[in-house]
Amino acid sequence: MSISTQGGPERRPSVVKPAAGAKPTSPGGGKPSRSGGGKGPRKPITPVKVAQQRSWGPILMFVAVGALAVGIIGYGAFAVIKGSESWEDRAAGIDGITNYRETDPGMLTANHKTGPQTYKTTPPVGGDHNAAWQNCMGDVYDAPIANEHAVHSMEHGAVWITYKTGLPQDQIDTLASKVRGNEFMLMSPIDGLSNNISVQAWGYQLKVDTADDDRIDSFIRALRINATQEPNAGCSSGVTATGTTPRDLGNGTQQGS
Amino acid sequence: MSSATTSSEPSTDGSEEPAPRRGPGTLWLALAIVVGLTLGYAAGLLTPTVTAPGDDSVEAGFVRDMSTHHAQAVEMAMIMHTKAQDDQVASLAADIAITQQGQIGTMSAWLRDWNLNPTGEQPRMAWMPNSQGSLTNGLMPGMATPEQLTQLRSATGVEAERLFLDLMLTHHLGGIHMAEEVVDLSDNEDIDWLAGTMVASQQREIQAIQVIKTELPAN
Repeated sequence: MSISTQGGPERRPSVVKPAAGAKPTSPGGGKPSRSGGGKGPRKPITPVKVAQQRSWGPILMFVAVGALAVGIIGYGAFAVIKGSESWEDRAAGIDGITNYRETDPGMLTANHKTGPQTYKTTPPVGGDHNAAWQNCMGDVYDAPIANEHAVHSMEHGAVWITYKTGLPQDQIDTLASKVRGNEFMLMSPIDGLSNNISVQAWGYQLKVDTADDDRIDSFIRALRINATQEPNAGCSSGVTATGTTPRDLGNGTQQGS
Repeated sequence: MSSATTSSEPSTDGSEEPAPRRGPGTLWLALAIVVGLTLGYAAGLLTPTVTAPGDDSVEAGFVRDMSTHHAQAVEMAMIMHTKAQDDQVASLAADIAITQQGQIGTMSAWLRDWNLNPTGEQPRMAWMPNSQGSLTNGLMPGMATPEQLTQLRSATGVEAERLFLDLMLTHHLGGIHMAEEVVDLSDNEDIDWLAGTMVASQQREIQAIQVIKTELPAN
């Protein structure tokens, strides 16, 4: 005991190494009372100890790798879950939105019909419609348009903003700024609308009272294009005229959707 | 457990001491392979998601804005195609409509791959530095105004063709500017590839437009 402590201070705290190296030569002298005393003397057990000591390296390595793996997987899973919120979830999170795809899917037929159609909701959110769609290239219409064309636009993925005729101009301008320059958006007034503003996409509707209600933006972000029934369908080459009477193409009924 | 049994066997042979060490070593190796494969597989699964452009990235901003920019080119080309009298104008209009609509499809597929919505949180053109003031009534550089589109719809004959060529030339210049910017800003290979072809092909079309303009009959 006294020898090892004396030798240590001479060369700094490297006491640990000479003590470990001294084990085989002096098993009973240095640290017999702790653990080496019982197992040290026998030969067959000594290699077992060596094997266990060597295995700590891999164990530590695997623990480290495992922790790294869990960390990476955990972060990845977090990122995936956070980033993968579907547009349906986003829409469902909008306060006051009505999802007719859930509550009344039966009314969301999509056949082409000529002439005026009857819709369950005002404004409509889907259903049979005219073969021609209303142009929805960010068009801001200053007069009412035909439901039968607008429904077709929504089938293509457009968000249709409607407001009660007579809404103050500054609110109309605010709404128009959300529409102009953005394809898959269109906007028009409706006479006698129940609320000041009603925003709709295929199967979805949100009614609000003021143009600066930020739920309008949330609705657009969630549903514009995403609500389409025909991915990659367009908004140009549609009807650009106003008027609530649908403009039939040709003479008879059309096929397709 | 296993180490104890393996250590007892070699003692009988005496000479073969490395053999017992291979027993646990093989186990560790197998574990390492399993852990490594699992780690690699998980990383491979997650890497595309983690490294995909984010909602406010240059790539997402460009893809959304260029899709809108393209959509108006398609609109003008389709208006023209239905009433073009000059063969060259009709051909150019068809080329523009088909090409740019196809590119919209490519770009929208990227947004889906990146798990992003078609509509971003950022305003138009925010991905471009110093882009303040580049929007005019919500329209990006080169885009035609609603009034110009109304004019194009109502125009006929050579007048419509000249108007179309002028509007499309301006439209291309704005689109080339945006595409050049994204090539500078983004390292995404797909973006750089598609935007690079936009720059090259639209520059060629501008030259074609200038030639066609000289060959159209006066008035």
